[in-house]
Amino acid sequence: MAEEEVVDPKKYLEESCKPKCVKPLLEYQACVKRIQGDDSGHKHCTGQYFDYWSCIDKCVSSFDFPFSVHFVIFLYVMILR
Amino acid sequence: MVGGGFIQQILRRKLHSQSLATPVRSWLSSTKANVDAGSSGVRAFALLGAGVTGLLSFSTVASADEAEHGLACPDYPWPHDGILSSYDHASIRRGHQVYQQVCASCHSMSLISYRDLVGVAYTEEEAKAMAAEIEVVDGPNDEGEMFTRPGKLSDRLPQPYANESAARFANGGAYPPDLSLITKARHNGQNYVFALLTGYRDPPAGISIREGLHYNPYFPGGAIAMPKMLNDEAVEYEDGVPATEAQMGKDVVSFLSWAAEPEMEERKLMGFKWIFLLSLALLQAAYYRRLKWSVLKSRKLVLDVVN
Repeated sequence: MAEEEVVDPKKYLEESCKPKCVKPLLEYQACVKRIQGDDSGHKHCTGQYFDYWSCIDKCVSSFDFPFSVHFVIFLYVMILR
Repeated sequence: MVGGGFIQQILRRKLHSQSLATPVRSWLSSTKANVDAGSSGVRAFALLGAGVTGLLSFSTVASADEAEHGLACPDYPWPHDGILSSYDHASIRRGHQVYQQVCASCHSMSLISYRDLVGVAYTEEEAKAMAAEIEVVDGPNDEGEMFTRPGKLSDRLPQPYANESAARFANGGAYPPDLSLITKARHNGQNYVFALLTGYRDPPAGISIREGLHYNPYFPGGAIAMPKMLNDEAVEYEDGVPATEAQMGKDVVSFLSWAAEPEMEERKLMGFKWIFLLSLALLQAAYYRRLKWSVLKSRKLVLDVVN
């Protein structure tokens, strides 16, 4: 292998799952904008944050290939290098 | 939340009208019958009030529940998940390496001995060599003194702290739990531990975590004392597998699953064998029962008419 750079497969899958979870991401960003001016400290976007990340998690865990994780790294490295 | 407030308003109006209705009714009539009607009205009102209180408290608690229970972890496809699937023993070996180098400085695994690793992750010689690296305090000698000696296979894995108080003192009041049974001690343990270890993220807008704690959405409450420990290339695996965060997480959870359930493989084999045999026995028993009962089930009763 020319480069020793390793790519974390989970992060890679999370990135590739982002397009599938655009709607909760937009909801979260809308919430962030809504509470931007708030100084009371009581407003937060945990709900939307959880909705977004549970969408990503579902996508990632269903994405997992039945074979070894090395294969995903191998594919990524081979395809994009 | 807006919906909850709206519902609260409607219910409050309903409550208000109900409370107005019952005293008016009892004021207008003073006969016994009407007093009874009034008391049953009060009872109905009390029931409604109890129901409304329950509903109101439920709606206000629901908004706090999310972070309180932590983000639900997904189900990952573990290689040892199937009905006849065994552990990935190479993964257990790597996971033990991760535990030793990353986790053992804070987390004990006091129920596992070095001899348990023999035949599972290491050969006897390797395990003996690993055990010999640690110092163990042993019982009184002939002179009545405690002495230290190199470890043996029969010794437990070493503990980082002498006791819980020392552990809490060294970790800002938080106790790093013993990991011997952690995948059984947490709901959906294997998936939870993997999600937790690889799930350190920036907190959502509006949430701030105090100094000394870290945000992890999977941890109940969201604020965990343990910092992110798994980082790419933190460990150099003996077998040359690239040590990404996800790889280390998978390996350490395989190791922890084995530690909590070392009997899993034998259990699955036994379970498969006996469920199969008992199903055959069930078929045989069902046939035998029906054979014996056929005599009674096929009898005919004749009702003779008396002339």
